Amino acid sequence: MDEIALHILDLAVNAVSAGARRVTIAVTEDLAQDRLVVRVADDGKGMDAQHLDAVVERFASEKTGRRRPIALGLALLRQTAEQCGGEMRVESAPGQGTQVEVWMRHGHINRPPLGRRDETIFALCLGAPGVAVEFTHCRNGTVTHFDSAAVCQQLGPGASLQSPEGIRAVREALESKR
Amino acid sequence: MKLSDLQQWRERAVRDVSLRGERRAWRIVISMGTSGIAAGARDVMRAIMDEIERQELECVEVSLTGSLGMDDFEPVLRVEHAGEEVVYGRLTPDAARRIIAEHVRQGRKVERYVIGLPKERE
Repeated sequence: MDEIALHILDLAVNAVSAGARRVTIAVTEDLAQDRLVVRVADDGKGMDAQHLDAVVERFASEKTGRRRPIALGLALLRQTAEQCGGEMRVESAPGQGTQVEVWMRHGHINRPPLGRRDETIFALCLGAPGVAVEFTHCRNGTVTHFDSAAVCQQLGPGASLQSPEGIRAVREALESKR
Repeated sequence: MKLSDLQQWRERAVRDVSLRGERRAWRIVISMGTSGIAAGARDVMRAIMDEIERQELECVEVSLTGSLGMDDFEPVLRVEHAGEEVVYGRLTPDAARRIIAEHVRQGRKVERYVIGLPKERE
């Protein structure tokens, strides 16, 4: 995973798999504090403590003998954060959704680039059109905000994001924010 | 409603019928677990969406899923139509565009990328 935007997509797909109706993503780049913070929160089914340990500790999930470690992505992201002088925190409880927060030193030589943010938003809100996706990107005080629910509203009642018009609307909404 | 709206609406209806489909007759499930994403699933999704928009296809439903369990072949997607499932793997955006052009629009599988045998659904 050579882009933070790909890690974000991975976290958001976990949220969709957990039955989330809403995924809230925030990226904050604070160059003065040398920090990049990513927060992904969902209202999905959440995880109990044991499950949470298993997904955050990659080796733990390998020990359980599962052929495919679940949510390997979280372990990868934690590793990336730690290699960049930061850390990852995950809060989750059954019925309470999941919140992942990761920070890293913005100027760290190992920090992956943010990457193609808009491609991640596009794939997410069109691949899971039933999930409201909110993305806020704050870079040195400049805020970019995208909300798939607003695009839905603009399309009118009964319209689907997953239609030629819907795809066009999402694409244009993202292009207008460049 | 203006006359031009009606005309547009009619053109779209004709196009849909010509795709021999009721609405959403095709379903494409894209594997978007960690390994799928790392292998390029996001660009495959983009290519599919671009084609749906460009060709005004109303007959395709797309969804993403955690993983289809074929990590060695990622990016992977599954096409479902009329009870038949075809799994494609080792995809590129170009391959995805071919799947739309040949499989969805002409009913001809893109054999080169097929990794799963068609399965009749119960």
